[in-house]
Amino acid sequence: MATKQEEQQTQAARHQEVGHKSLLQSDALYQYILETSVYPGEHEAMKELREITAKHPWNIMTTSADEGQFLSMLLKLMNAKNTMEIGVYTGYSLLATALALPDDGKILAMDINRENYQLGLPVIQKAGVAHKIDFREGPALPLLDQLIEDKSNHGTYDFIFVDADKDNYINYHKRLIDLVKVGGVIGYDNTLWNGSVVAPPDAPLRKYVRYYRDFVLELNKAMAADPRIEICQLPVGDGITLCRRVY
Amino acid sequence: MELSTGMEPGASAQKEEKKKKEEEMATKQEEQQTQAGRHQEVGHKSLLQSDALYQYILETSVYPGEHEAMKELREITANHPWNIMTTSADEGQFLSMLLKLMNAKNTMEIGVYTGYSLLATALALPDDGKILAMDINRENYELGLPVIQKAGVAHKIDFREGPALPLLDQLIEDKSNHGTYDFIFVDADKDNYLNYHKRLIDLVKVGGVIGYDNTLWNGSVVAPPDAPMRKYVRYYRDFVLELNKALAADPRIEICQLPVGDGITLCRRVY
Repeated sequence: MATKQEEQQTQAARHQEVGHKSLLQSDALYQYILETSVYPGEHEAMKELREITAKHPWNIMTTSADEGQFLSMLLKLMNAKNTMEIGVYTGYSLLATALALPDDGKILAMDINRENYQLGLPVIQKAGVAHKIDFREGPALPLLDQLIEDKSNHGTYDFIFVDADKDNYINYHKRLIDLVKVGGVIGYDNTLWNGSVVAPPDAPLRKYVRYYRDFVLELNKAMAADPRIEICQLPVGDGITLCRRVY
Repeated sequence: MELSTGMEPGASAQKEEKKKKEEEMATKQEEQQTQAGRHQEVGHKSLLQSDALYQYILETSVYPGEHEAMKELREITANHPWNIMTTSADEGQFLSMLLKLMNAKNTMEIGVYTGYSLLATALALPDDGKILAMDINRENYELGLPVIQKAGVAHKIDFREGPALPLLDQLIEDKSNHGTYDFIFVDADKDNYLNYHKRLIDLVKVGGVIGYDNTLWNGSVVAPPDAPMRKYVRYYRDFVLELNKALAADPRIEICQLPVGDGITLCRRVY
């Protein structure tokens, strides 16, 4: 047991090396953005959830503060009301979304792990926005297939945020393209994959980074070629690709 | 100095003067070219961790879907000596998406240059969309105008030559202009951004956005005090640092500072 715990801790430490550098030219520049433009206006609930999550061993998975701020602005500019989130973790982007939506806004949120969500839920409740969230534990594909079967669900989502298993993004996309409304947006997270999308073939890469990189590269090509969407790939966080459905 | 045989003293003096003038011209041209060259070094690296990553974004996600007019204007502008000033392709794509998501219709642009962001805007707005565009230099705009016309969107543009502040003051005086702009893009003289902001905050509608360009100023916002820096970069950097603090502290806006291009800060008016 002790060896297993040690292994997990070492693994977590290795993950922390890899994660949460930004994609920017220097850490200093990234810190500047955070300190100058993000933290001053940050909702206290976001700060609290950020600090809780920072203590968690898998915190590499969390949405970063600059990304949360961007999602918030995007949702407000779009007047989004009915959204979906695939991949919740402790709920940082979920909280950002819930704070940005109007009081009668709704978020269908899915994750295979309810425990992590429950870490963040008290903060979301304290912020007074938990009532907007419908959380479903389990893999996303079966639920998406259910939604797709009922045509009255088609074109009903203003915004869908996907921050989950990269080897399933294209499978999600095949369903989400009919669930998002025309003019609505699907956002795919981690599409620049720690910058590894341009790493030379012989670059030392962690196994999981190298494994998922192929899926990310494939996804990026597929998004650019999909005639049903217009895209915009932003170097925020680990890379977000916004896909606006055109028909 | 040589005296050729058979030449009169006056003629050779003239020849000398001509030679001197030519040398002066050549030096000046050289200077301008070097200056442009230096500008090109400074400009259009991105703010990202590597050029390779930036190129990847352009080649994978920007160029495939790019409107042909954007490509054409980009290429025309690339040949211009002051092309450091142009909006980059990834920024153009982002502006386009933003405008569509906002359903923007009535916009303003301060700082046009050859019109790359203006074209991106005009393509993104509906057919009855309108852009009030200002620049001190009509010549550069006229470089891009044929492309904008060919794209069929020139009718949306109302171009005014001259400094922006007097025109903004005029607009402000008439209260019926207040809160009438969905989106305002400022890509101009950094030492005036805060002066613009004082007017634009009342011209943009509640819920609308003012976008300020170059707010990360080539990354120099975090350069150590002794870092070697071009004079103009250092000069304007103080204004950029001050602007960023002021925008973060302005209670009438919510902001978002994105590392797209040279840094865009979006400011959404809340009241």
